[in-house]
Amino acid sequence: MNLFQREPAEPKSQAELLYQAQQRKERQFRTNVGLSWGILLLFLIFLFSGNDIAIGSFSIKTINLDQNFIKENMGFIAGGLWETIKISFLSIAFATVLALLAALGRLSTNPPIYALSTFYVSLIRGTPLYLQIFFFFLALPQLGIVLSGTLAGVVALGLNYGAYMSEIFRAGLSSVGKGQREAAMALGMTPRQTMQRIVLPQALRFAIPPTGNEFIAMTKDSALVAATGFVHELMWRATKVGRAQFHNLEALIMAAIFYWVMTLILTALQSRLEATLSKGDR
Amino acid sequence: MSSIIKVTGLDKYFGRLHVLKKIDLEVKPMEVVCIIGRSGSGKSTLLRCINFLEEPSAGTIEVDKLVVKAGGRGKEHRQLVHEVRLKTGMVFQEFNLFPHMSVLDNVTEGPVIVKGMDRAKAVQIAEMNLDRVGLLFKKDEFPNRLSGGQKQRVAIARALAMEPKVMLFDEPTSALDPELIGEVLNVMKKVAQEGMTMLVVTHEMGFAREVADRVVVMADGEIIEENTPEVIFKSPKDPRTKALIDRYRSGGHE
Repeated sequence: MNLFQREPAEPKSQAELLYQAQQRKERQFRTNVGLSWGILLLFLIFLFSGNDIAIGSFSIKTINLDQNFIKENMGFIAGGLWETIKISFLSIAFATVLALLAALGRLSTNPPIYALSTFYVSLIRGTPLYLQIFFFFLALPQLGIVLSGTLAGVVALGLNYGAYMSEIFRAGLSSVGKGQREAAMALGMTPRQTMQRIVLPQALRFAIPPTGNEFIAMTKDSALVAATGFVHELMWRATKVGRAQFHNLEALIMAAIFYWVMTLILTALQSRLEATLSKGDR
Repeated sequence: MSSIIKVTGLDKYFGRLHVLKKIDLEVKPMEVVCIIGRSGSGKSTLLRCINFLEEPSAGTIEVDKLVVKAGGRGKEHRQLVHEVRLKTGMVFQEFNLFPHMSVLDNVTEGPVIVKGMDRAKAVQIAEMNLDRVGLLFKKDEFPNRLSGGQKQRVAIARALAMEPKVMLFDEPTSALDPELIGEVLNVMKKVAQEGMTMLVVTHEMGFAREVADRVVVMADGEIIEENTPEVIFKSPKDPRTKALIDRYRSGGHE
């Protein structure tokens, strides 16, 4: 930010000197945090580097990973990335729709609709996600409904996240002040027009950043779908090759790195999105 | 001349609280009526009952020959309320501009969505009304870039763009910094001079005195006195009116 655009010749004011000192302090903090991160990361890499180091009579042995295994299976495990992203994306889309409906139901004055919404949220939040995934994959076939692993996963994750995210949308809808509804009503808008034109756009903008956070969480929870044994995403692939060749250490570390990098990228995108939204016309 | 607003026997309860007690009020076309009174006297509730932002408990509201009875239900009642709202423009204390729309869109929203007007025509009307409040040059800004006074002037343009028969103002300057009150009052004065019928709930005694044709004084949910500003400010009959005016004369605000 260029708060102090002045001619270079002009003597610096007290305010500017203070401002610059503060800026310097903040920059320094960020640099030091970055350096410390680098050191921690190097230490972690060193820990798994497989080196033997002898300093005098003192020797350190770090963890040795099987490089050949890593090279051979890199492509196979990375092949699960797409499936992981696909499941997360489909699930979050399904969850968003459910969450919005549940939030609207929660604010409804119609008793059955209100009950349906709270019943859904209570049932889903009261049972484990792991159980829900198995339920759709293993329990439904007994009733003659057979879902593929991916579909069962998407339905379970969508239902589960939808229940939790309904709270986000409810908060978004209540964040729109009563005055906004009154202004729309005074103009002659119907309740439906008021919701579509005035309340929802403001509520959705409020809900976008937390929905992004849920998406990031979803990419990790999608690993649970591996339990069905039929969805070849990251986690499934890592455990498959890890178990077969008894190299679980390498396989899981590889999968962990993929998840972590994916989360870092999504978090960066998320903060940019948030910055853009907060810059907007609030 | 027949009245454009006629409130008869209006009662309003908030729970057990009786906030409006058998109110009768008439406003003639092109008349400017100011309602004054202490906070809690029921003046805002009275205004909000006229366009049914508050549902009256009993009585009749008549706006431009549309008669709506309190306690109505069903489709027919909703249709009547809708038509009343089309005939009344409302300006709020807190402006209530739509923050996700530009100034221009705030003003075209009503005509386009409610009246189904085509956009080009709505823009034309919006620009005319923004010009009327002196803010045409801000049409592409978003509300958060405007001062309080400018926001309220846009809100006035938004209400005017619906081409209402009556304008209702609910304490339009009470949320403003003192130095911004003048610009809003000037716009209101201009609108009044152009012949708009106005019902204004206000604490601005100067405005009431200068612009109003009639001043209505409320206390404890009742109209205790109504007359020309001349009479109300020079020789009020009710001691409560006198106390109210004295307080403002000495510069105190409530």
